[in-house]
Amino acid sequence: MSEIELRNVSKRFTGATAVKRANFTIRDGEFFILVGPSGCGKSTLLNMIVGLEDVSEGEIRIDGQRVNELDPKDRNMAMVFQSYALYPHMSVRDNIAFPLKLAKLSKPEIDRRVARAAQILELDAYLDRKPRALSGGQRQRVAMGRAIVREPSAFLLDEPLSNLDAKLRVQMRTEIARLHNRLGTTTVYVTHDQTEAMTLGDRIAVLRKGEVLQIGTPRALYERPRNLFVAGFIGSPAMNFLPARRAEGRLELPPGALEIPAHNAKQWGTAQGPLIAGFRPEHLRVIGERDVSGLCFAARAEVVEWLGADLFVYFDVALKGFGEMGLPDDLDIQRGDTARHTLVARIDPAHAVNEGDSVRVGLDWRDVQVFDAASGENLTLSNAVNEH
Amino acid sequence: MAGGADHGRTERWVWGAGSVVVIVYALIPVAWILSLSLKRSADLGDNRFFPQLVSLEHYAAVFQDPQFSAALWNSIGIAGISTLAAVLLGMLAAYAIVRLEFPGRRLILAAALSIAMFPPVSIIGPLFNIWRTVGLYDTWAGLILPYITFTLPLAIWILSAFFREIPWDLDKAARVDGATPLKAFVFVIAPLAAPAVFTAAILVFMFAWNDFLFAISLTSTNDARTVPAAIAFFTGSSRFQQPTGAIAAASVVVTLPIIIMVLIFQRRIVAGLTAGAVKG
Repeated sequence: MSEIELRNVSKRFTGATAVKRANFTIRDGEFFILVGPSGCGKSTLLNMIVGLEDVSEGEIRIDGQRVNELDPKDRNMAMVFQSYALYPHMSVRDNIAFPLKLAKLSKPEIDRRVARAAQILELDAYLDRKPRALSGGQRQRVAMGRAIVREPSAFLLDEPLSNLDAKLRVQMRTEIARLHNRLGTTTVYVTHDQTEAMTLGDRIAVLRKGEVLQIGTPRALYERPRNLFVAGFIGSPAMNFLPARRAEGRLELPPGALEIPAHNAKQWGTAQGPLIAGFRPEHLRVIGERDVSGLCFAARAEVVEWLGADLFVYFDVALKGFGEMGLPDDLDIQRGDTARHTLVARIDPAHAVNEGDSVRVGLDWRDVQVFDAASGENLTLSNAVNEH
Repeated sequence: MAGGADHGRTERWVWGAGSVVVIVYALIPVAWILSLSLKRSADLGDNRFFPQLVSLEHYAAVFQDPQFSAALWNSIGIAGISTLAAVLLGMLAAYAIVRLEFPGRRLILAAALSIAMFPPVSIIGPLFNIWRTVGLYDTWAGLILPYITFTLPLAIWILSAFFREIPWDLDKAARVDGATPLKAFVFVIAPLAAPAVFTAAILVFMFAWNDFLFAISLTSTNDARTVPAAIAFFTGSSRFQQPTGAIAAASVVVTLPIIIMVLIFQRRIVAGLTAGAVKG
């Protein structure tokens, strides 16, 4: 049980800054996620918390105690590695017991704790096997077992599921969630997968290029992303983006204009540069001929994906007259080219839409978030919604 | 397919025949020595490959010779200590070179290799003089030091190639699990490096055990003379007799430990030698 506090923590490697002034507190018992594309510094941050990397600048405090100079072995944290890092020459039992032996616990106590961990993780039958005789999921569980036997003050997990196949990943994800509910230990979880982040986290920190962009609950990140990167990174399929222009009382988009009430338009401040409008796939509705509220336009369904509970319809929008959008390239959403852009709508599968059909699509102004194209800042958010 | 099977058989046959040729070529001298050692003194010059009558008289003679038992003891002690020291130092050095960031680690590896390539015969003269001055001449330490010097580079190279294959995460995991750097090395890294350690140990041991050059030049009495050197000092039972039988018997005796060791650790040696060659 402990609270982990980062105060302006920076990490510099020769010539490069891996983490820039990270400043946040992970609350006691919280499931905290560090998420971001590869190379964003999330693993470095984790390694600094556990003590495997030195802190270049700033301070890390655990329950108010500065730990910058504390050796990893004295921090009483447990870590699960992406590679699991099981000791190949030891049996499962010895792997799990290793931290306890180092802590010089008595033999009966070690046996008791190993048995309990094995029972929680359903490893009883494999205790005498070597790691190489286990499947990926079992190895993952052994790594978890080695972490929980110590009853540590915090769990640190570095992409623990990325070596598993898709089905097992979902299964282990729920197991980790259940384990956290059961043990209530502060957990820091690093991942590049936004689905894992959204499903597991109490709170999520989105990192990019060493900077913490936003910290908040999954819902806050989804509904009120502070900038273009967070907006595009969180959510699957990703948010739709279109270049936009301000006009008198309206927001002009390539397929048409949206009437915006005056006091809402004011919120966007006086930014004069090009804008980017973002809206979630579920905010694009298929509407009837008579419905004229908000922005309505006709489009041709290019690709239709039916997933049972969801129906995704992809259609192209010509960018006529609008310049190209400067979306961050590490977002990996380049749907379209300079002339057209692909949007995706998540609609009720009750609509029978087939590829090639022409559909009328509607968008409400309340569902549109407006970003400054230059800074990426979300202009729709009422001034500085800071959640820490 | 019949053709494919035929092809496979021919190939196997060629490889098999090749192996037999190599083995016979390599082992005939050994068999000859073995045969000599088992002949009676009177039969030594009978030009037969198999002894007419097997006799252990040369073995008995060799073991009764106080010079030989002293030499055997020296050989075991000197080779053993050299091996232990070279492997231990090599492990620590290789681990540091692989795991620690410090300037000049490549230079250290290159320098180590250049020492291993240095012809020993070129330093024998100076070493002889230095050892006599500092009092290391004809002592165990006087032989152990050059043996360590010439085998340490080999040990470092074998071990560092192997350590490189051991994932970093294991060190990190051990550290987070509560181990000091030394404990992480002893409990996690060293056991995993066992194949490389065996390989290095056997190669170092063979170097020290077989060495003749240093042994003959830097020793003068039974205090430190090892078996290869001692064999050269064998005399026959009379002035007019060649000590052929005794030399053969002594050679067999000193060859046996090496053969036994290699046979026991064969698999591990192969694993150690090929480590780093292929990503496993």
